[in-house]
This record gives sequence, C-alpha cells and structure tokens, in this order.
Amino acid sequence: MQPQITVILDNGASSIKAGLARGPEGDDDDQPKGNSRLIPNAIVRSKGDKTTYFGHQLERCRDYSALHYRLPFEKGYLVDWDAQKAVWDGVFSSEVLNVDTAESSLLITEPYFNLPNIQDVYDQFVFEEYEFYSYHRCTPAATIPFGHLFQAGGPSPPECLVVIDSGFSFTHVVPIINNQIQWYAVKRLDVGGKLLTNQLKELVSYRQWNMMDETYIMNHAKETCCYVSTGFFEDLETCRSNPKKNSIVREYVLPNFSINRPGRIRLPNEELSTTDQVLHMENERFTIPELLFRPDDIGLEQSGLAATVAASIALLPHDLRGMFWANIGLIGGSTNFPGFYERLSSELLSLTPVEYELQIYRSEDAITEAYRSAIAFVNDPAFSAHVVTREEYLEVGSNASRRKFSGWQSSSAPGDADISKITQESMIEDRGQPSRKPNRSRMRTTTAPGRRR
Amino acid sequence: MASKRAREQAPRHVNATKQTLPSDIIIKRTKRHLEELEVTAHIHRSNYTEPSITFDDNDEGAISGKNRVRQIVSDKRHLNDPNAKKKKSSMKVRTALLYRKNLATLIEESRIASLPCHVPTYLTAAAPPPQLPPRLLCSVCGYKGTYKCKKCAMPYCDINCQGVHAETRCERRVI
Repeated sequence: MQPQITVILDNGASSIKAGLARGPEGDDDDQPKGNSRLIPNAIVRSKGDKTTYFGHQLERCRDYSALHYRLPFEKGYLVDWDAQKAVWDGVFSSEVLNVDTAESSLLITEPYFNLPNIQDVYDQFVFEEYEFYSYHRCTPAATIPFGHLFQAGGPSPPECLVVIDSGFSFTHVVPIINNQIQWYAVKRLDVGGKLLTNQLKELVSYRQWNMMDETYIMNHAKETCCYVSTGFFEDLETCRSNPKKNSIVREYVLPNFSINRPGRIRLPNEELSTTDQVLHMENERFTIPELLFRPDDIGLEQSGLAATVAASIALLPHDLRGMFWANIGLIGGSTNFPGFYERLSSELLSLTPVEYELQIYRSEDAITEAYRSAIAFVNDPAFSAHVVTREEYLEVGSNASRRKFSGWQSSSAPGDADISKITQESMIEDRGQPSRKPNRSRMRTTTAPGRRR
Repeated sequence: MASKRAREQAPRHVNATKQTLPSDIIIKRTKRHLEELEVTAHIHRSNYTEPSITFDDNDEGAISGKNRVRQIVSDKRHLNDPNAKKKKSSMKVRTALLYRKNLATLIEESRIASLPCHVPTYLTAAAPPPQLPPRLLCSVCGYKGTYKCKKCAMPYCDINCQGVHAETRCERRVI
C-alpha cells in the first residue's frame, strides 16, 4: 500500500520549505514550480502583541519590533526538538499542509555532516511520533542533480558538479559525482545569514540606533539594502569622499507598527515626517556581505568563498576537475545578494586553472531551489529504492536508515571504482567536445567572459 | 650634553614602554566577538533559564530556581483540529523533547573526534585558513583602518575616529 502523497520538508534553520508531491500518476504537471509554503522555523514571542507565534503563525504578527526568537537549530544543527515539534505540528495540521502523516511518505532535508546521534532522533520523530509510512532523509545538495538548476547547460544534468549552498547558519561547497556527494571534499565556511544579520545589528547599534534586539527589522534591512561589491576599495572611497550624498548611501526608513507601515528604502525626494526614524546605510551596504568573501575582516580564520571552492576542487581527482569548474551551482538564501554572482565569478576566474572553463549556474529562486529539485527527486522512479519504511525501522531501528541513506559515515575515499570509471570516460570526452560553452541561446544567465582554450 | 655614543646606545624613549598587546588577548577578544555573532536570542545572563512560553501571564508549572520542571512547549499548543488524536509519545521521543542538549555536548557524544583521520566529519570540513593577511577596517566608521589604537590594538582611520574610539569602545588596557 504505497502512499499517494509525499510530504516534502526542506527543513532549514531559518525557514522550512514545505509542500506535497503527489505520486507520479498524480497531477504534478500543472505545478512545475512546486508551490511550497515558506514557514519560519522558529517560535517567536512578540512583546508588542503579547503572543507567541509558532512557525507559520508569524504572518499574523502585527508588531515586529523586539521579537524574541527561539530557534530549533543551533549553529546549523537541530538540537531543540521541543521547538521543532511545535513548528512541525503546525505544518502538518490543517492550517498549512493538512496531511495525515500516517498515510504519507516524507522527504526531509538534514544539514551536511549531521551528527549520528541527531540522525537517530530524526528517525524517532518520523516513525514513532508522526508515524510516517516511509521516509528519506538527505542533504539539500543531494536533491539538486534531479532538479533544473543546471538545465541551461544541457538536457541532462552533469555527472560532476559543485553545489554552493549558502544558508542561514553556514555555507557549504559540495562536490557531487553521479549523484553521490564526495564528502572528503566538502568544505564549510562558517558565515551565513545569521552572522551577517548579527554583524549588521552590531554596526548599526554602535553607529546609529540600538538595534540589538530587532532581529526581524535588521534582517529585512539587510535583504533590502545590502549588496556585494565587485570593487571593495573603490566603493569604500566613494563612501568616504562624500559621506552624506554619494551614489551608495541609502536611507532605510524604519517601520512604524502603530500605523502598520513596513520598513523600506527611502525613495529619492521622498518627504519624511518628523516621526520617521531613518538608518543611514553607506559602507554597511557592502561590507556586511563582504564577509562571505573575506571572513577575516572580522577575524574569522577561514578563507573566503572563492578560495574555499578552489580548495575543495583541488581535493578531487585530477582529470575531473575541469568538469567541476564548468558546473558550479548556487542555492540558498544568502546567494540572493545583488552582485553575489558577479563577484563570485570574478574571484573564481582568477583561481580557475587556465585550461578549464568556468561556469556558474544560479536559479530564479535560490531559497526554494532545493525544494523544487526534491519534488523531481520524489517523482524519479529510483526514489523508492532509497526510502526506509516504518516496518523496517520497527524491526531494525536506526540501522535501516544508516544503511539506506548514503551519508558521510559511509563515504567513499578518492580512488573509488565509480570515480575511475568516469575518469576514463571523461578523458575521451574532453578531447573532442567543447563541453559547456557559454554562448548558447538557452543560457539563462549572463556569464563571465569565456576563457579561451 | 650626552655624548653621541650614549645617545645612540640609549634605547629610544618612545620604544621603551611600547609592547604590543599580548596576542592571546586579541585572540580571546575575537573569539568572544565571533561567538556573540552566532547568538540567535539575546538572553540576559542574569536570568538564563528555559524560556517559559505561556499564553497568559501566570506561570504554569512549578518553578523553584534551578530545579524547575521542564515544560514541553509543543504540548501546550492549542491546535484547532477536531480530528487530532491524543496519543502518548514514545519514551525516546519524550526524552528528546525534555532534555535539550546543546551542540557542543552532542558533538562530544557523537565521538566524531575519535574517528580515523581519513573519515570526513563536521570537524574536518572547515574551510582552510586564509592565505592573505586580513585587511583592517576602522572599527568606528568602516573605512580603511590604517592605524591601531595604542591601548587596545583596534584599528581606526583618522583622528576623529580615534577620538570616538577612545571615548566609547577602547578597552583601555594600559600595557
């Protein structure tokens, strides 16, 4: 009795992307994008409203000032199960997905390098608490090869690709060969949306208004005003030359919840009333996202994203590296900064070896990209081989999931049989084929100027 | 007038008392700063307890200092679902709900640090250290921080920022 419905939960630290995928015989053709619900993964207490909102209820909040967040995730890993259960109860209830969990299958995402003791608790909740019929647990990057992120490069997804997943807690560089994550080459940069928002709160609190408690407002300010600059010192000079009026400075008008007006950037020549409070965002606009590329600006002893990508690819088999440089994909909310793609392209170009092409793919919606790829994964006929059913779990416990879900514990080292097979194939390929050249009409994004071989 | 030789040999007065701030203080300060940047909820140190989430103002559940009865938040929700079945959670699930461990404890318990070194884990996956030296930015305004405070080694860019720094954030360690 296979369940008809699969619940898809892209369980992130900042938000859960939740939705339903009906079976292959269902009507999923008319939802190619997959309408996911974006649910804040937090229990939020609003002092102004004097209420507590669980997950999706946050949209009912009127007063967003001084919101107190309780997040189930700590440093990227699920530690607070009480809070997570509270949010999940709401997601499965009639208010959001309206699904009977005992009759459904589940696909849930976990962080990279998830700890084995935490993985066991995932199993316990899925089977003992929610009683799902079957489930599959994987990382967001593992679903990407089934989706459409690399669609512009060719009809079928590439065999070797790199996924850069920049989310709330951290950023990972994940190389994948033949749908298998190469764990020995996965690298983690401890800069994510949370660190950027906190750094912005600190800077603004020191220089202007005390915003240390205003996570929601500063997060919104970060998403509206910040961008990644391609010339850091040039922009710094521009700001310095004329602090009040230059092309970079923007004024962010703080929201006024008593009259229900959200925060926004001040338009040119807009009149402000005397009660409006304004944040001057000048070099904060680009020094904050700069931390993704230079974490040592605040003393974090890690190299920036471009150097991390280069270090990760350098760990991979020599002959395949060209394919990896040519297939880099971006997912995750923190890749949404304007200018992120251009900056990453220019930094990576100088690190790419001369004989290889560089090609970066991005999605129209980086936040839901993993979710949409997961829908495609669920509808793939091979999916049913990867799920663990409740019966199996009740018989053998968590060993069932340790066997079936390929994780870092069972990772293959370099020099594996699979990889050497591809190496031989690719050697024949590389000779003749121009591989993924940028000048294709189906290309969605503008690319960095192609390198000549 | 002191002889030329004496002048040459006497150490310069300026350098006599100049020592750099011990690097471990700087390292500790940076580490503390980075940990603060990881915080999601600013909990006041004085009353660090499990946040009690109640729907009205009186606390339900006995609290007496450290020995408070842990409350399970998720059971308190009132979901308007007429078909909701009230079932008892299993033992393991209840344990997981009641006893929240922080990440450091979980990492220790998972014993990933004692795995053989060819196995990639959370601990080995961190990005490599930077190749280039850090660019110092003024701690006050954000421009290039070309000079460093004599007392606490924070960078600043010009005299105005130096003044602001000395009044507000300088740690004033006299070395």
